[in-house]
Amino acid sequence: MQETKVVRPFPFFRAGARASQPQLSKPILVLEDVYKFFRPDQPTLRGVDLKVERGEFVFITGPSGAGKSTLLKLVYRELTVDEGRVLFCGRDICRLTDKSIPFLRRNLGVVFQDFRIIDHWTVYENVAVALEIVSMPKRLIRSRVAEALERVGLAGRGPELITNLSGGEQQRVAVARAIVPEPALILADEPTGNLDPHLAIDILTLFEEINATGTTVLFATHDHSLISKRDHRLISIDEGRVLESQQGLKHWPGSGIHTMTG
Amino acid sequence: MDLKNAIVRARRGLREERRLYVVAVTSLAVAFICLGATLLGVTNLDAAATRWGQSGRITVFLKDGADAQDVAQLGVVLEGLADVQEVTHITPSQARNSFLEEADVGADLSALPPDVFPASLEITLVSGVTRERSESIASRLAEFRAVSDVESYGAWFQKLDQLLWGARMLAVSLALLVMFCVVAVIGNTIRLAVARRRQEIEVMKLCGATNGFVRGPFVLEGMFQGFASALLAVLALLVGYLVLHEPVDSTLAALTGSRVVFLGAWTLVALLVGGALIGAIGSAVSVRRYLSV
Repeated sequence: MQETKVVRPFPFFRAGARASQPQLSKPILVLEDVYKFFRPDQPTLRGVDLKVERGEFVFITGPSGAGKSTLLKLVYRELTVDEGRVLFCGRDICRLTDKSIPFLRRNLGVVFQDFRIIDHWTVYENVAVALEIVSMPKRLIRSRVAEALERVGLAGRGPELITNLSGGEQQRVAVARAIVPEPALILADEPTGNLDPHLAIDILTLFEEINATGTTVLFATHDHSLISKRDHRLISIDEGRVLESQQGLKHWPGSGIHTMTG
Repeated sequence: MDLKNAIVRARRGLREERRLYVVAVTSLAVAFICLGATLLGVTNLDAAATRWGQSGRITVFLKDGADAQDVAQLGVVLEGLADVQEVTHITPSQARNSFLEEADVGADLSALPPDVFPASLEITLVSGVTRERSESIASRLAEFRAVSDVESYGAWFQKLDQLLWGARMLAVSLALLVMFCVVAVIGNTIRLAVARRRQEIEVMKLCGATNGFVRGPFVLEGMFQGFASALLAVLALLVGYLVLHEPVDSTLAALTGSRVVFLGAWTLVALLVGGALIGAIGSAVSVRRYLSV
């Protein structure tokens, strides 16, 4: 019988730990021959191989149910792979113990289509929660939250209740919460899905500004009008398989994005 | 777990769910009042038993026609005992008179002859003599020639002991029942609170919160509920005690010679700490299943 190897929490995933130079030189995210099954006969992801370098901005696209969200969930360990490996900063996160998962997530920022912000909290409280969990001193939290709110265009709106904000502003709060701990990687799962086209472009631009400061961004969307406006690396998932282009929709090989995204 | 942060979040949780918590605390307070009242009963029975046990009396019935010299010798022996405070010789006619004064049987008993009542020695023991010592003195007195029978009220104390045992068992059963109620009510309250705050938990977990960080405020909220319920019950009992103890005291003092006492300090501490502890356990158990985000 094969012995299961238990991986102890990596120091890198511990609070306050910084990546070493060799870690910094590795791709930030690698998926190796990843399979994920929800039904035994029909894998949602089949043999996915993917490498994301530090500082990249990557679109992940594909029709609804293609496996975009599943792929992101594997990265923030809401799901575990059935086969293959997911390496974050060179570490196999599939073998993390349950106790180590929070420390992995502190290195990630996650933004969702439905914002996932707390309605009865203020803007400040919604952003500050990402720092409170690492027991950061209050004064530092205040300055970091103010900085994050300024970056997303909500400077001075901290005391306001979420219910007073528009959809676009609520998504900005979610982005502020994702960037405030200064994560290495931001995972955006259809962050513009609930927004009108004009606001969607604003949010995309916001993510690009965040990316410009060196943060890696994985932006999942099925909105081809959004993808077509930018030349970022494009990864398409269809029926669990990955196709990709290094320079956006214009350079997509073969039949084009329109047939691919339906 | 950052305790300060957990307290801040628990306070927010209590504020946001105050209606739910008020209902839960009130229900639990009723359960704690039942337990407290039983404990109060046990405490008072115990105190009365101890008091009666320590203010012992022995009645020595003398044989009809007992030799005066034997009775005098018995008196000398009794006076020599350090445990004996007072010895009163009751003659048959004194016993008859006392019976006629105190008896209320609704019949004319004046025709009763004095020789129906045996002469006796009423012995009052000094305060603090144990029941075992009282029994030992009684058995020694029974060996004297002039003595017909000795009453040390052992059977009566045995019945009191049985009553106390029953009351203690009732208190233990009630304590278990209250414990179950507290765990169930607090568990369900926290479960409701968790369901309402599920999104918060999800957000915190996605931001990298540990299970301890998420669980902390809920455990504190459960602890507060348990403590508040127990405190409310103790205060209600105290108010009841302060209002009722004076009229009850005078009746009880006349009947039994003892007074009503309130719960001891350790019992109060046990109630409050126990309430908090069970509350914490109840909420920790119920929040556990919601942590797998």
